[in-house]
Amino acid sequence: MENIINIFVKSIFVDNMIFAYFLGMCSYLAVSKNVKTSMGLGLAVIFVLVITLPINYLLENYVLKEGALAWLSPNLASLDLSYLAFILFIAVIAAIVQLVEMAVEKFSPSLYASLGIFLPLIAVNCAIMGGSLFMQQRAFLNIGEATSYALGSGVGWLLAIVGLAAIREKMEYSNVPKGLRGLGIAFIVVALMGIAFLAFSGLKIG
Amino acid sequence: MSKLRKLVDKIKPSFSPGGKFEKLHSTFDAFETFLFVPNTTSKSGTHIHDAVDSKRTMIVVVIALLPALLFGMYNVGYQHYLAIGQAAVGFLPMFWYGFLAVLPIIVVSYGVGLGIEFVGAQIRKEEVQEGFLVTGMLIPLIVPVDTPLWMIALATAFAVIFAKEVFGGTGMNIFNVALVTRAFLFFAYPQSMSGNQVWVRTKETFGLGGGTVVDGFSGATPLGQIGTSTLPQAQIVDTMGNPYSLMDTIIGLMPGSIGETSIIAIAIGAVILLITGVASWKIMFSVFAGGALMSIIFQNFGPDTAVANLPWMYHLTLGGFAFGAVFMATDPVTSARTETGKWIFGFLIGALAIIIRVLNPGYAEGMMLAILFMNIFAPLIDFYVVDANVKRRLKRVSNK
Repeated sequence: MENIINIFVKSIFVDNMIFAYFLGMCSYLAVSKNVKTSMGLGLAVIFVLVITLPINYLLENYVLKEGALAWLSPNLASLDLSYLAFILFIAVIAAIVQLVEMAVEKFSPSLYASLGIFLPLIAVNCAIMGGSLFMQQRAFLNIGEATSYALGSGVGWLLAIVGLAAIREKMEYSNVPKGLRGLGIAFIVVALMGIAFLAFSGLKIG
Repeated sequence: MSKLRKLVDKIKPSFSPGGKFEKLHSTFDAFETFLFVPNTTSKSGTHIHDAVDSKRTMIVVVIALLPALLFGMYNVGYQHYLAIGQAAVGFLPMFWYGFLAVLPIIVVSYGVGLGIEFVGAQIRKEEVQEGFLVTGMLIPLIVPVDTPLWMIALATAFAVIFAKEVFGGTGMNIFNVALVTRAFLFFAYPQSMSGNQVWVRTKETFGLGGGTVVDGFSGATPLGQIGTSTLPQAQIVDTMGNPYSLMDTIIGLMPGSIGETSIIAIAIGAVILLITGVASWKIMFSVFAGGALMSIIFQNFGPDTAVANLPWMYHLTLGGFAFGAVFMATDPVTSARTETGKWIFGFLIGALAIIIRVLNPGYAEGMMLAILFMNIFAPLIDFYVVDANVKRRLKRVSNK
């Protein structure tokens, strides 16, 4: 249990998807113009991560890893299917994103309209794929750890995007030099946020 | 005074549009409004009529910083003469030594920062804004005395350009400019900003105070000693190995950044800020409350390390905690602006600072990064406080 909480806290602050690994930057910069929309996107990312990561965890451990198929028949114990990891992971992600898109369209048409192209693009959001690949790399012990890692990375991504969105809303009337308006100043803000997030690099929990 | 006014009026036409030095109008304007309260009012937008304009506000903060600065100068000299074994030289030589050591840092910080501000204002054809008066004073107070001047110049330039000018100047910055300077120094030149060698100047300054360092000298700050201690309880000692009491840490004759050591000097500044209403007492109070609460939690439930076992009073008196709480967290531009938001903002800064100190072995000092981190989320806190208010009132209306 303690391990699960540690993984959760660490993946929010220490291994933040945005500020430690720079993953999911495209939608991060593009959809962070107002808090409500970015909150919606953040929640969608959390949702997709929390669904796909445990599924991919099961795939990895019971199908793909070397010897993972031993439960089917002892003859398959020497089989190593991990070269299929990329394509299977992305297939799972794409399928789940499709579901999310349909659900958002049904229940919140306004959010659907404001997210626009970025909702289907979650399918290729590096933070989601990155989550699955980090899961593979870190060899979590059980599905609980994998889920808590997924939730933590999602919450970290959400925190980062709503923080940036609130800053950009506040800067609406700032007299930013002409050449920097829009994306330019967003990059500078993100860089300064990254400096502040360094507070947690090397944090030791548990 | 009236002679000065006449002189200013006499040269004014040549700086006005159409005059000889038209291009330097904002520079002239800056000096004029620095000397005299302008008699013009805004023509558009919302404005409040008050005798205190932002220049006067900034001056109040600079005055509030003076006790910490003067004490810091004395402390620099005191630590120096203690380190070379001449602690008997008395107050004046110590202060004079510290004055000579700190003055170049102030000059560089103001020179670089104001230079960039003036150039920026000329380019944008705006009035020079006064925010740097405070920032320029804060920067020397939060760096170790042995920081090379070129580093301070570089970091100040970085912070003024990238944390302030590009955001539209004074009042528009998201991050505290002085803290960005400090963070830039800290991450770009860690060897000059941490460790045991930088906090006490042992060499001579302008030919003054030469001597060799005595045996047994260690320039570690109290928090540095606690952070590197492997025992569950750490004894904090001065550079000569004598233990510090709680009172010593309040008086502040100990190694550290120039202005951060003395709680008494900072408290005088805090009183000035609170009486004049420049700083928010809610933020100040909640930072201390958050810090105290978090250290008590760590003391009881935390890991068994020296820094977690440190009593909460020490956490508040050591390092940059008090200085940050009084002068940095309360910065009206970068802190939360809603009243409820101020409580949350302050409390989280205090708690975070202690969390970083205890759980992050890389940083003995947590205040700088805690405030920077909360600067990110101040707009978000405000957004949700306002949002909650809107929702509550809507509910009240729809219930009727």
